[in-house]
Amino acid sequence: MRVVLIITVLLLVAVSAAALVPVAEPIPQYLALIRQYLEPARPYLPPATLALAVLVFVEIFFQPRRTLPPRTPAAEPARPAFAGPPASRAEAEIVQFLAMLQEQGRLVDFLMDDINAYTDAQVGAAARVVHAGCKAVLQDHFRIDPVRSEPEGSTVQVPAGYSSDEYRLVGKIAGSAPFSGVLVHRGWKTDTVKLPQLLRGADDGLPAIAPAEVDVK
Amino acid sequence: MTARFSLGIDLGTSNCAMALTDLETDGTEVVPITQILAANQSGEKLTLASALYLPHPEEFRPGSFPLPWDAGGETGIVGQFARDHGALVPDRLVTSAKSWLSNPHIDPKQRTLPWRSDSVEEKLSPFDCSRRYLEHLKGAFLHTVQAQGRDWALGDGQIVVTVPASFDEVARNLTAEAAQAAGLGSVTLLEEPQAAFYAWAARAGREWRDAVTPGDIILVCDVGGGTADFSLIAVTDAAGNLELERISVGEHILLGGDNMDLALAYTLQARLEAEGKSLDAWQFLTLVHEAARAKITLFENSSLSEAPIAVPSRGSSLFARTIATSLDRALLSEVILDGFFARTALGDLPQEVRRAGLQEFGLPYASDPVISKHLARFLTRSLQNVRASDELAALAGARADDTALMPTAVLFNGGVFKAEAIRGRVLELLASWNGGQAVRELAGFELDLAVAQGAAIYGQHRATGKGMRIKAGAARSYYVGLETSRLAIPGFRPRVKALCVVPQGMQEGTKQLIEGQTFGLLTGEVAAFRFFSSAVRSGDTPGQIVADAESELEETSLLEVELPALPDVPAGQAVPVRIESVVTELGMLELWMNHNNSDRRWKVEFQVRTQ
Repeated sequence: MRVVLIITVLLLVAVSAAALVPVAEPIPQYLALIRQYLEPARPYLPPATLALAVLVFVEIFFQPRRTLPPRTPAAEPARPAFAGPPASRAEAEIVQFLAMLQEQGRLVDFLMDDINAYTDAQVGAAARVVHAGCKAVLQDHFRIDPVRSEPEGSTVQVPAGYSSDEYRLVGKIAGSAPFSGVLVHRGWKTDTVKLPQLLRGADDGLPAIAPAEVDVK
Repeated sequence: MTARFSLGIDLGTSNCAMALTDLETDGTEVVPITQILAANQSGEKLTLASALYLPHPEEFRPGSFPLPWDAGGETGIVGQFARDHGALVPDRLVTSAKSWLSNPHIDPKQRTLPWRSDSVEEKLSPFDCSRRYLEHLKGAFLHTVQAQGRDWALGDGQIVVTVPASFDEVARNLTAEAAQAAGLGSVTLLEEPQAAFYAWAARAGREWRDAVTPGDIILVCDVGGGTADFSLIAVTDAAGNLELERISVGEHILLGGDNMDLALAYTLQARLEAEGKSLDAWQFLTLVHEAARAKITLFENSSLSEAPIAVPSRGSSLFARTIATSLDRALLSEVILDGFFARTALGDLPQEVRRAGLQEFGLPYASDPVISKHLARFLTRSLQNVRASDELAALAGARADDTALMPTAVLFNGGVFKAEAIRGRVLELLASWNGGQAVRELAGFELDLAVAQGAAIYGQHRATGKGMRIKAGAARSYYVGLETSRLAIPGFRPRVKALCVVPQGMQEGTKQLIEGQTFGLLTGEVAAFRFFSSAVRSGDTPGQIVADAESELEETSLLEVELPALPDVPAGQAVPVRIESVVTELGMLELWMNHNNSDRRWKVEFQVRTQ
């Protein structure tokens, strides 16, 4: 479940980044594609998608808190590292993936900040940080290819026995496969996932998304 | 022993890599290296950063960084996380340990690293650091082959470790010793530029013989992250077969891709500061990283005129404090191409800085950043070396007539040369030095992994006895200093004569007894000798005397030999000995003192000069 939510967040961020990047710059192809696809809805996108992203995000990361003991007071005494009940390995791994997006792409900083207070130029500059870092994470850990290599807008055949994971048929579906139609979105798929191993004891809670950083003098 | 595999280890100044040749299937593959990637992550990467981080005892929980093969006995973290995290805690980070191995001013076995740090609990020696990297690589290799279901032990294979061609014998021997201490056993050493050539030849397959012709002189131009290393390989025809011989090696030049990224970052920082934007130390590191990325983007895509750079602040507000700038093509060309690969004349050699009276000790970074000038110096010195011996002069043929030994072909290696613009500039430079005649390029591949692959291929050639070999032998000639006894004249130091004990090109698996010079050693005492080398005196023969060692040779180290008290020799009486030099099968240099009148012999140890 959480994997789905994380991917939702990613897609939403990509969509909002695509909508936010100033038009003049050469932008990566996939952002261009997303943007082209979304062009009619463009005016409504940034607020809507971001709001949605934040909601999903809140849902993901505040849910486990319900099982945590109440927050310690503001002036925190030293407490043992990794307090809290043991979390499942799958959950910890998802937090770790988010931590990678934060470490390299500052994704959580991007989403948790108040976007309305800044100009498009400021948001654009920040989007570059997010784009470069998150893209590097994706490239390091997945091999991402389009499902269909034809240009969008061309007519394609959907073979018999296609995987419903890889194709979503819309419009008027009748007769039998192979189906012919216009490629609206080329799709993305991955066949290689190579995530780093999480180093974590059996009794540890969820890892932090980003550690508090203290410059010791 | 029939070897089952060959493992090539590129022990780099800034990055290490490993490649494996399965001798049964004859395929060479790069071995991914498991390492700590972040505070709570481990994973594989194709290279291992040559960085060692020594954490504060309370910084991480004990056992926070388990590796599959690690018994947890030693402190310190190696690899990506060490470099990333250590950049923010520089007092606890060891980098460039390899360059300290060849530094004549410190003892590589003294605990001196991190250099000038006053916060680590216990320092490490350059030798220890090299051993730690090799131990990590060994563990990662065994872990990987086990995961692949191969039942190999280290003893089943041929292990080749690469060293810079510019390393002298002391640094080479220390590298081999570190490999031994790391549990890799007796490894074979191979010079990095040669490894790059083996990788190229293997990739070119049977066609490599068509790509070069007798009379060719091939320049291997290797610029890695931290060092530049040059070699020349001559191609000759021996009874219808192509023969390759390495005829010249360069000096140890601490100048590489990292300098270029830093130079870009400093230039961009100056521009930002002129706009009133200042960067903190963390942002500067990010700027270095981003400048490197922008550089690659511009070099890879010639249609772009500039690449944007965004440097976030360390705080959590990304929108308010991200600094935006861009790297444009003009600035890139100015800093990288004209700064490091300037169009200089062949006679334009690196500037020697005037040494201040009190000099800060440290790594001898190149004081002149122009790689073109270092290359010109190398080609000029190569000519000097080739001319010193009739045999080499014959190999170089007509090309030995000019002011420098110009190559006919060039093989690039090292990450810097991934940029076509930089390769183009070097080719242009070589052509301009060659009277306008183009020097052709041998197309390399995977420039940052080729050395490891070439080392594995060389190991295969050694283990099977098949395949091409570059004739190399000792890269330098070596000398033992002899104090001249004469009347003391105030203000004049007596000249030190030197006796050649190892000629350049001395082959592996050979011995050389120096006739005609007998040393008298007192029993029960340590005798010390000065040890010199030269990369440009190919004509010197064993037993030959160089009149003024201090001005004509480079001092390498001290030699020490201790004769135990011998029962049949009265105390205080000198024992007559002669020097025998041995280059072992594995390429290690050994010196022995042989008793004139019996078959007793004592091994001479290399000691580093401490002043």
